[in-house]
Amino acid sequence: MKVFDSLVASNIRQRPMRSAISVVGVALGVALVMLFTGLTRGMSNDLQRRSTNVRGNIIFTRKGSISIMSSATNLSTKYLERLQQIDGVEAATPIIRYVYASGGIGFDQVEGVEWDNFARMNDVHIIQGRGPQANDEVVIDETKAARKHPVGSTLKIFGEKLYKVVGIYSPEAGGARAKLTLASLQETLEAPGKCTYILIKTKESADPVSVAKRIDHELPGNNVQFTRDVFASVESSIPSLGIFLRVLVALAAIVSALVVMLAMHTTITERTREIGILKAMGASRAYIVGEIEREALLISAMGLLAGFAVALGAGFVIHKSTSLIFEYGWRWALAAAAIGLIGGALGALYPAMRAANLDPVNALAYE
Amino acid sequence: MAILKAENLEKTYRVGKVDVPALRGVSLNVEAGEFVAVMGPSGCGKSTMLHLLGGLLTPTKGRIVIDGEDLTAATDAKRTDIRRRKIGFVFQRFNLFPTLTADGNLRLAERIHGNGAGDPQRRREILGLLRLEDKMHHKPLELSGGEQQRVALARAVITQPALVLADEPTGNLDSENSAIVLNMFQELNRRFNQTIIMITHNPEAAAACGRVIQMRDGHIVVT
Repeated sequence: MKVFDSLVASNIRQRPMRSAISVVGVALGVALVMLFTGLTRGMSNDLQRRSTNVRGNIIFTRKGSISIMSSATNLSTKYLERLQQIDGVEAATPIIRYVYASGGIGFDQVEGVEWDNFARMNDVHIIQGRGPQANDEVVIDETKAARKHPVGSTLKIFGEKLYKVVGIYSPEAGGARAKLTLASLQETLEAPGKCTYILIKTKESADPVSVAKRIDHELPGNNVQFTRDVFASVESSIPSLGIFLRVLVALAAIVSALVVMLAMHTTITERTREIGILKAMGASRAYIVGEIEREALLISAMGLLAGFAVALGAGFVIHKSTSLIFEYGWRWALAAAAIGLIGGALGALYPAMRAANLDPVNALAYE
Repeated sequence: MAILKAENLEKTYRVGKVDVPALRGVSLNVEAGEFVAVMGPSGCGKSTMLHLLGGLLTPTKGRIVIDGEDLTAATDAKRTDIRRRKIGFVFQRFNLFPTLTADGNLRLAERIHGNGAGDPQRRREILGLLRLEDKMHHKPLELSGGEQQRVALARAVITQPALVLADEPTGNLDSENSAIVLNMFQELNRRFNQTIIMITHNPEAAAACGRVIQMRDGHIVVT
């Protein structure tokens, strides 16, 4: 077997534990990049998918009361009446959005709505059970229902508080998968007469931009945004998330490079005598660097494959056990591959250069 | 035709602040096809001379020409290249790659030499001569000392070097294996007209050679 009788492959097989540790180091970096970027992309795409089902096209809030990870309940529902009188507005409905620690991984959110108005405006239908009426009742979308929450079951929201699932709605619409009555959330949050935002649907004949301008003119000092902008990509709406992801990628590259460098450095020290033999046989510096780089690249490639496998497996398991969604994209997969390979190659470069510059006589005498 | 010309070679090592002369003006001519033994007490400069002739060290003074190429005027890269094309080494401690089979060790030498799969006819002849045909898939640790040294010898000559430099090749072998290995050196010398310079402490090994050079205190005293 010529392939397995090469110096590169035989060295990897000869030191299985060190090779395995190097592979795991590279795999860890690759898997981290894939999982973080996959999670960001998955949650972002999921949010956008659900937002496209929201027919209300304008969101009216107090300034700064909504962000991805938090929201305030500081808008008076008294605005509702005035908004409905503005020319071009077909319907308006108040919504409380509340973000809380899910108790598992990350955050969850719940919305308080006037169910009949919300459903009518957004063309959302109860496909099983009925809409929420009492303060301890909740309706959920099909994805949440599929996670062992059938009609009649109970759902923990805000940590320990139990709510009875009275209905399942479709299509999925809005930021939250669980919706209570507006009164229920107002009571829980001790915010009577308040909401987070008022969702407005403009008449088909009206120009939404003109309607938004009129709202802003009639009710100055508030925030008038288009729904599509509020539910924009998570990556672009969380400040510095893009930078965070890039820093993560850089760190993964550094981890891969350091792991490979340490492994190759130790290997080179152990193989000093063998490098002396190579030099005695007439191997050039480039040949020696090439052999060590090939070994590092082979280890990195194995780490890459392991990293992808771990990311896919971990993403599947986390998705099944939580509500987190992972969607892997080619762009980040290529970035992860580049990190693994370039990190490994760069990490091996110093030990390789050191080996290539060894004095052959001293190397041959190395014990 | 002289395959090796060494003129007035000097080599001084710097140990701390002290200069230690190892070779003090050695001149040597070796004709193509010669089998030369180098003898002398420990520390007389034999190994230093061998390393200089193989381009592993550079002399403090003097000139070495191998097969028409000036080793001393060459850069480090050029010297490595001359070594690759023209010189084969055999060491006392065999120095085979332990992770490779005997065949892998030979192929590595061929790869470094750059002649790909090598010359199949020469490979067959050498393996036959060294009686290694059935040992090629064994790793060094699965071979006896004599067999390992025969593999090392095969590795040194498989690429048809102009000169084989052997540093006490029988030093780690018992007398039976020493005799076998020496016999094979002689066969290689006879059959392939292979030029060999061999350092040895063993008078019987020296007796197998066509010429014996005696060294003492960094000088050649008998040539």
